[in-house]
Amino acid sequence: MPFPNVRLANRPLHFIYICDCSGSMAAQGKIQALNQAIRQSLPGMAAVARQNPEARVLVRAVSFADRAAWHLEEPTEVERLQWLDLQAGGITAMGEALELVAAVLRSPPMEERALPPVLVLISDGQPTDDFDAGLASLMRQPWAQKAVRLAIAMGHDADTDVLQQFIGSDPCGGLPSGEIPGASGKTPLHRSGRSPRRPLQASNATSLAQYIQWASTAVVGAASMPASRMAGLGPQANIPLPDLPPTLMDPTDDVGPLVW
Amino acid sequence: MTWILPEGASLDLEGISSPLRVLRGLGGGTQGQVFEVEVAGERLALKWYLPACIARDPHLKRRLGESIRATAPSEAFLWPLALVTPGPGALPLLRLGEPGFGYLMELRPPGFLGAHEHVGGHLDIGLLQVLRACFFLAEGFHALHLKGLCYKDISLGNLFLEPSSGRILICDNDNVDVDGRDLGSVLGTPGFMAPEILMGIARPGANSDLFSLAVLIFRLLTRHDPLRGRRELEIRCLDEPARRRLYGEDPLFIFDPTNPSNRPDPIEHAAALITWPIYPEPIKRLFEQTFCAGLHAPQRRALTGQWMAALAEALDQRQLCGHCGQETFPAASDPGPLCWSCGCPIPPPTRLRLPHGQVTAAAGNELHPHHFDRLLPLRLDQPLARVEAHPSDGSLLGLRNLSGQAWQAELRAGNRVVVVESGQACNLAPLVRLTTQAGAVELPT
Repeated sequence: MPFPNVRLANRPLHFIYICDCSGSMAAQGKIQALNQAIRQSLPGMAAVARQNPEARVLVRAVSFADRAAWHLEEPTEVERLQWLDLQAGGITAMGEALELVAAVLRSPPMEERALPPVLVLISDGQPTDDFDAGLASLMRQPWAQKAVRLAIAMGHDADTDVLQQFIGSDPCGGLPSGEIPGASGKTPLHRSGRSPRRPLQASNATSLAQYIQWASTAVVGAASMPASRMAGLGPQANIPLPDLPPTLMDPTDDVGPLVW
Repeated sequence: MTWILPEGASLDLEGISSPLRVLRGLGGGTQGQVFEVEVAGERLALKWYLPACIARDPHLKRRLGESIRATAPSEAFLWPLALVTPGPGALPLLRLGEPGFGYLMELRPPGFLGAHEHVGGHLDIGLLQVLRACFFLAEGFHALHLKGLCYKDISLGNLFLEPSSGRILICDNDNVDVDGRDLGSVLGTPGFMAPEILMGIARPGANSDLFSLAVLIFRLLTRHDPLRGRRELEIRCLDEPARRRLYGEDPLFIFDPTNPSNRPDPIEHAAALITWPIYPEPIKRLFEQTFCAGLHAPQRRALTGQWMAALAEALDQRQLCGHCGQETFPAASDPGPLCWSCGCPIPPPTRLRLPHGQVTAAAGNELHPHHFDRLLPLRLDQPLARVEAHPSDGSLLGLRNLSGQAWQAELRAGNRVVVVESGQACNLAPLVRLTTQAGAVELPT
């Protein structure tokens, strides 16, 4: 006889991509790289969602150029998600994009109970509209304050100050570059010298794909049903962030940067 | 995924005598990556650590070496077999700035799926198999603890099961340590960690394993969490501080017999309310022991051997409801049991009387050596006999001889004795007694 037809009670986990689609993203295959990176990350995200029966992972996406708009408006279960390619062209209405996100993080339409949302902002430039007003509007929402906010800078023209404001202050900001608190207090945890509380710098297609994969698997896992906890980690936020993807020396990636 | 070790490469590694060929990457996480490899014609799994993981856990290599020398506590563990480090020829092939190390283990056999598939309701599995899986889990940790070791990170993610049999595999054995020595960095997985570990007032060991084991058994049996009842519903955003309150600062078992303030909600937590009544009292008492008094007194938590005894006994009294066919577990002492599923009365079953205990005659139930000799350890993996329905008449129950020797069967009528060869099944209805090599099986007159 089958086990009784009951399911573990679960909560929604809202995952929202906020993607820069300004004209500069059309150069050097950046928008193609972004589309590929997101598409490639979906099977891993679906696998993580299935491994965490207490979460119901729902994905949405906002794109911003001259205006901000929902690219994927309906919160969609990752298993059913088909990624439609983003197109580049226009300026950088990042503030407006944050307003759109703020509007859906109100209760309602947010459920009364959920897991901390995950917001991933990906940009290669500077906002051309009122970013501060957009951010202020977002941060008035309690669900945004509770959210895991990540930012990925595509190339070196991205305004990392703005991205850092989106994430919030870096608790490791006072440490020398390349060090965040490790088990011993001396050894840097991330040999890559980055902290997940700073904007992640994606200088080529491989690192972009790795960061998006990390955000959609390790971070989703941590926000839905946390992984093993290690002793000696520093102060934790709402959701302790997992290690960043390692810096791999990939001999197949020596054709030079695709994105900068 | 970018793999640390190049697929297809042949690596010269120290720690094994033959070269190792990387066949394909199997998966990766924040600790490292796992590969399918071939060594001397044998397919194995190789886990290779990331530098950040090695930096965070300075005694990892020593623990792994000791585990390999100690050998696996039981077949339920996918245990490390050999520690490997890169030889000079392998170093340039590693896609990492540092050499690092890894370990070899058996590949997970096909048919074993992540236990989360069951908890998520994706598996075709029965109560019999789930109870057996819980028994094997308790048995595995029994063997581990008896070796003086502890696991430290029992969770849903480290358990795999075979739905058809209930057999299990316990993975990720690299945190195993000598109990009380604490040469590790892991604290456990939230939701499975004992309150004293979560609150930072103790370090993980065998006693906190007992808490995590009880949580995992509870989740397998109920598809619910033992501490998430009405208190959880008051939490809007289930984040780290909220989890700390629920699991560490002020935990309360949802079925605490004296404090009903955290009972499951009938709509949100229906799984717990539907499944809890299925299980016999001795199992419920072990949960109460661990999640009430044992929440704050680690030495009062149910022991692995107690879990094994209660789960084996539940399997012995398993009975199929004559009305809805669902599996039920009425105790012999229960005067008027009702089916938990359809509510119909369950008639008294035929019980096979053995030198040590009774087993209900229901298809799928098994007789084990411990039923005949109380000095033998409780084991479910070497049954001597299994109750089976007749292939064309499901109302006829027989007992199949799974032992290597013939039995003598005494019939009710005419004092006749027939021989039941190994592999044969005999109809239970006309029998009064079966004499086996292990002892006698008596049927009610």
